[in-house]
Amino acid sequence: MEKTGSIDSLGSKQSSSRHPSVDSLSSSERSTQVKAPSCMLSETTTSAEFSPEIRVKPKTQAKVLRDSDKEETQLLPNEVVQDMAQDVTYFCPFTGALRGIVTVSNYRLFFKCMDREPSFVLDLPLGVVSRVEKIGSASSRGDVSYGLVCKDMRNLRFAHKQMDDTLRKSIFEVLMKFAFPVSNGLQIFAFEYGQVFPENGWKVYDAVSEYKRQGIPNESWRITKVNDHYELCDTYPSTMAVPVHIPDEELKRVAAFRAKGRIPVLSWIHPESQATVTRCSQPMVGVNGKRSKEDEKYLQAIMDANAQSHKLFIFDARPIVNAAANKMKGGGYESEDAYQNAELVFLDIHNIHVMRESLRKLKDIVYPNIEDSHWLSNLESTHWLEHIKLILAGALRIADKVESGKTSVVVHCSDGWDRTAQLTSLAVLMLDGYYRTIRGFQVLLEKEWLSFGHRFQLRIGHGDKNHTDADRSPVFIQFVDCVWQLTRQFPAAFEFNEYFLVTILDHLYSCLFGTFLCNSEQQRLKEEIPKRTVSLWSYINSQLEEFTNPLYVNFSNHVLFPVVSLRHLELWVGYYIRWNPRMRPQEPVHQRHKELLAKRAELQKRVDELQREVTNRSASSSSERAGSPTRSITPVQTFV
Amino acid sequence: MLAGSKSTFKVRQMETDIKERLLSQSGMNARGRDVFELRCLPGECVLQRAVMVRKKLTASEGRGWLSGTLFCTHFRVAFVPQDAPKADDNADPILLGDHDVALASIEKVVVVGPNRTKLVTPNSSLKFTPEELVLYCRDLRVVCFLFDRLTPDAQVIEITHAIAKTYQPLKPGSVLSFQNAALGSVEMKQFLSNRRRDAHMNWHESAADWQRELERCGATGWRVSSVNDRFEMSTSLPRFIVVPQKVLDTELKKSFAHFNDGRIPRWCWRHPRGSDLLRMASFQNNIYHEKDDIRNLELILFGCHSSLCVVVELGEELPSTADIQLAHGRLRALCLGDISTSVTVPDDKWLSTLEGTHWLDYTRWCLKKASEVACLLRGGHMTVALQEAEDRDLSCVVSSLVQVMCDPHCRTRRGFQSLVQKEWVTAGHRFYSRGNYHRDNDKEEAPVFLLFLDCVWQLWSRYPSRFQLSDDFLLALHDSAHLPLFSSFLANSQRERSRGSQNLGQCYTPVNGWRDPLHPDSGPEPPDPPLPPVWDWSLRYSERRQAGFTQPVPPASAPRPTLNGNLNADLEAGKPSDASPGSVFLLSRGVFSCPANLLPWRGGVGSGISGVYRKSHRRAPSSESVPGLERLLRARSLTEAPSGPPPDPVQDPYEPLLPLLMGPCVGLWKECYHRGALHAQAFSHPLSANHRHPVELLGREVQRLQERLARACPASSSAETPRPRPAGFADLNHNANNGTFLFPRHHGSASPPKAPPAPSAAPALAAAPKENANKHTFLFGHATDARLGRANSKVPKSNGS
Repeated sequence: MEKTGSIDSLGSKQSSSRHPSVDSLSSSERSTQVKAPSCMLSETTTSAEFSPEIRVKPKTQAKVLRDSDKEETQLLPNEVVQDMAQDVTYFCPFTGALRGIVTVSNYRLFFKCMDREPSFVLDLPLGVVSRVEKIGSASSRGDVSYGLVCKDMRNLRFAHKQMDDTLRKSIFEVLMKFAFPVSNGLQIFAFEYGQVFPENGWKVYDAVSEYKRQGIPNESWRITKVNDHYELCDTYPSTMAVPVHIPDEELKRVAAFRAKGRIPVLSWIHPESQATVTRCSQPMVGVNGKRSKEDEKYLQAIMDANAQSHKLFIFDARPIVNAAANKMKGGGYESEDAYQNAELVFLDIHNIHVMRESLRKLKDIVYPNIEDSHWLSNLESTHWLEHIKLILAGALRIADKVESGKTSVVVHCSDGWDRTAQLTSLAVLMLDGYYRTIRGFQVLLEKEWLSFGHRFQLRIGHGDKNHTDADRSPVFIQFVDCVWQLTRQFPAAFEFNEYFLVTILDHLYSCLFGTFLCNSEQQRLKEEIPKRTVSLWSYINSQLEEFTNPLYVNFSNHVLFPVVSLRHLELWVGYYIRWNPRMRPQEPVHQRHKELLAKRAELQKRVDELQREVTNRSASSSSERAGSPTRSITPVQTFV
Repeated sequence: MLAGSKSTFKVRQMETDIKERLLSQSGMNARGRDVFELRCLPGECVLQRAVMVRKKLTASEGRGWLSGTLFCTHFRVAFVPQDAPKADDNADPILLGDHDVALASIEKVVVVGPNRTKLVTPNSSLKFTPEELVLYCRDLRVVCFLFDRLTPDAQVIEITHAIAKTYQPLKPGSVLSFQNAALGSVEMKQFLSNRRRDAHMNWHESAADWQRELERCGATGWRVSSVNDRFEMSTSLPRFIVVPQKVLDTELKKSFAHFNDGRIPRWCWRHPRGSDLLRMASFQNNIYHEKDDIRNLELILFGCHSSLCVVVELGEELPSTADIQLAHGRLRALCLGDISTSVTVPDDKWLSTLEGTHWLDYTRWCLKKASEVACLLRGGHMTVALQEAEDRDLSCVVSSLVQVMCDPHCRTRRGFQSLVQKEWVTAGHRFYSRGNYHRDNDKEEAPVFLLFLDCVWQLWSRYPSRFQLSDDFLLALHDSAHLPLFSSFLANSQRERSRGSQNLGQCYTPVNGWRDPLHPDSGPEPPDPPLPPVWDWSLRYSERRQAGFTQPVPPASAPRPTLNGNLNADLEAGKPSDASPGSVFLLSRGVFSCPANLLPWRGGVGSGISGVYRKSHRRAPSSESVPGLERLLRARSLTEAPSGPPPDPVQDPYEPLLPLLMGPCVGLWKECYHRGALHAQAFSHPLSANHRHPVELLGREVQRLQERLARACPASSSAETPRPRPAGFADLNHNANNGTFLFPRHHGSASPPKAPPAPSAAPALAAAPKENANKHTFLFGHATDARLGRANSKVPKSNGS
């Protein structure tokens, strides 16, 4: 009992209370309005001010909204209120200054303004806070002002009166402590959050069964346990697929020639042509043009594993200038002399610093104010869409080589954990319909991003106050943006909806779930993440209907070739500009689609029932009067 | 000019005469049908044909290639797919098939050879055998035909030449010969003159039509005046205008002189909350105002609201017609990738170049102005008068946008057609000059109507389920505006239009010897073909395409409540006496003001009479009503966070659809402008014959289940099992890929909010016109018959007749 109750509070509430009945359909407009706030979907939220805020996290606050006379927030399991302050002003850039109460727990900041009807609520997981800064208390009335710079494209500003009691800390000092637990020797909230979900997300991905799904091992590829103790490569998973003819001993020598020991390993194999997508890091060529016989043999083995083609494409994600510059640091790229039959292609994707800067510019032009008359040229000057285009174009070339050229490809950048992860995961998303299902997408993230060591901890900086860290970069956000672009061009090809993607990004920062903590599989194992935290997939898979694209058709055998021209790419307004109440979508289209599906289910159930009835009746009556149970049809008519 | 065009026509006739006879001999025998299955119009001759041609299908057609035969006639480039169903010989002639291109809409002919592309002009010669023929159309379509290796070279070259020679590059006079080619034959004239007009829409041509509109809007206090019946008061105004009841025609007559071109304030629409929307041209300032005139002028302007009138000046914050023309030209150049010159904007400059066209800015400005007006009207009990210098361009845009926003009827297909009739066609938008069909007046050309369609599309894309018309309909209208065949678009005013149609009748006699002073030599003689109105869709769109013009929507509401009674009671109560008109405000740049010279006769310093008048009548505009007005406007701009949940659209169907106007929200109408984008091919993927749209799959699922049901009890249901209609779903299918919006077409059917809960599936369908009901019927199987009956019975009502 306890268990189901808690799930309700986390969101399956309205779906369980709303049986997909025919009646609910016809009164849908009305009900949509009522239940909108709990729906979290931007399309369905109707109460303007706080629609976006609500989406940040599971819907406990939906309850709060409904019983707005209750003072405190509904807390998550093991969430503890740390401090509370009255008379705090929140300077909302859209609605103006609001006075209310701020509550800080070990998980969130909660601001509530009762002056307004309906009351204004801001609910912010502390994980999204990138930086807290005290803004000069020049104000004559002795107010202290704090600015919160958030990782999810917004900045918040609060102010409160100067404390009379100088010993008492400002609530924002308290906040700073809990917003950056790692820097303050505290635990990230995910380790405390003890919610139990009916689904266990940690079971979603199992490397061996994923390789088995792809038909590995087979006559050319084997699964190796050489990295079982992360000795070959500490950023790779323990289970990897490599060409059959390369013994483990040789793998070690290959590892010595690849940056950080990240040898070429299998990402995906084409079920028919056996063309493969493999990923690795840059070869350690250096200024002297070092070669490695083992590495050359290894790539030859990858090529030989595919009988369809006598060529191998090596996609270097970097611009050629950057690749060449890496030679100074001992890295570089494969020379075509050394690797015969291999063709090297540079994909011109820029590094993490360029991407970080681009997103920063994008934030500047979308938050809080948008300049209408120069919107497009401002957008162009951020180059964000151009970067998205380059990544998509690169992935498209990879997918095209594999699908149309039946050629195996090797993808790398410098370390093979940022751009490489973007490219391989997007390419296989285009190639393999399985990854376009909800579960398949989770497997894709677990495999290409988490197990192959995309450094989430460093790139996001969970609980770390060092906001200027040059290792932070929106690489993963960029990938999710690319996925969103694909869903725009192929709206029926993905089982998940936009909300699924937004939820993933929200919990990338929230630190509520353990999924995106740490930098590698090894670290995750060491920290016992699966034991001590809840997986985001547990939460998502326990309420799949929220995340399902109602119009999904299983085009599993189709390869998606998106158009990557800028003319066909769009800014993901539903993510980047969602805080602006003027941007809220006008129609709950998604809701309508969902209702259509519910209606289908209902109709189908009725037809099934009636058919059973007919079968029974005709079976029972056939002995008496054969084949005339006409009346059994009529219920269908009156009902439908 | 006329003579010249006639002779060119003749010359061309002779040129091709022999070939024609050869090619279409058998065709003529088989009642206008060519041996190769092209159904010719009466009198239409095939000039050339090529076999084994493949046509590239666009995104909305499902992509891929379609093979068939290509024809060139005097009138069109026709393409007949191989497996096209045999045309019914007895069916009415259709001007253009789904794959045809009218010669007049071709702008450029380009051929692609093995390693070169060439722009083909009437005089150019071909030195290579083209592999591909690309027709760039004025309506931004790019139609691409691919010749097979098996197509005889001679045919390829001949047809390319034939098209290049006959497509009529822009020059004065070419339009007439085109019209003659299409409609000039005796049979065609006969056919067109017997054609019935769509009786379900309001043409706003007769007094009864206007009366009907007054009743539909529940507007009392107004009457239809026939003072301009012979266009003596104003040449550009329609025959019938709606004016306040209390103004007599004799009084009215004196007012025309005070307005530019006699376009006095006229009623357009009444908001259900009782405000009236008026349009007028600017004042003629130099006219001496007599005291009686002034009273009349104010009576007309204030309509039946004596207290408050807001004049919305449209000149200031909206683009000029020259701006619009320039922007559209740039947009065309940007969107229409041209392989003959291969000048395209580099991808990384796409966004700023698009911004540089200002087209999106202009749509935003128009929408903004219209939403301001809509918000004012929502306030109730006032007169909002749109004033534009000539009252023939942007006031058409704004007044019709306001109605699309506020009036659900105008979002149905027929309602929209009526609206265009009311605010554009009869109101005297200069379609003819703005369209510049004869290419003889580049200075006047401006696609104001296309700008309006784009604005409507912006609204549509934000609120797709609130529209019964579909984006396909908007697109069809967009394309039709480029085709010089329709009476709706080939005249500048109702007067010109009626002149044209009277010429058709043999017994035309000028009334009272009145002759058109502008065209003295236009007698009854010229054999202009009778031009059909643009709304006669079956002339050029197949049933299948027309079915895609509408989508099921939740019923707007019950027929309009009897608002008048109540409102009028209120009005009477608070109404000051006739003689003292109230405050007039000017809305400009979002600010209300009350400039002294707003009404030139009020406070005019020089005129003694106005001085007297001012003393006796002028009340100081109550300054306290300004904030009130501003509050109304503020509801529009969401910068101020709305307090409370937004108004429930179901509760109030007349709550305006206010568009989002921020930069990221105004999008490019890709389905229209990007149709020609040559790089859009890669879209083709998950769509194929084997994979159908989810909604279709859903339909099939239900059908399959029903068949199983039927098998269980064969006697009863065999007759009822509905047959699948794959044709109706073809267009649904295509939407799956149209990247810009998530399946716009279906959500309408998902939730009929106002419907009674009982027979659940029915209401959404019942509300839709019949063709839609058909389209979706099989989803719900057995209820078909019952529901169709109901759908039929509801049609007249939902069309708002």
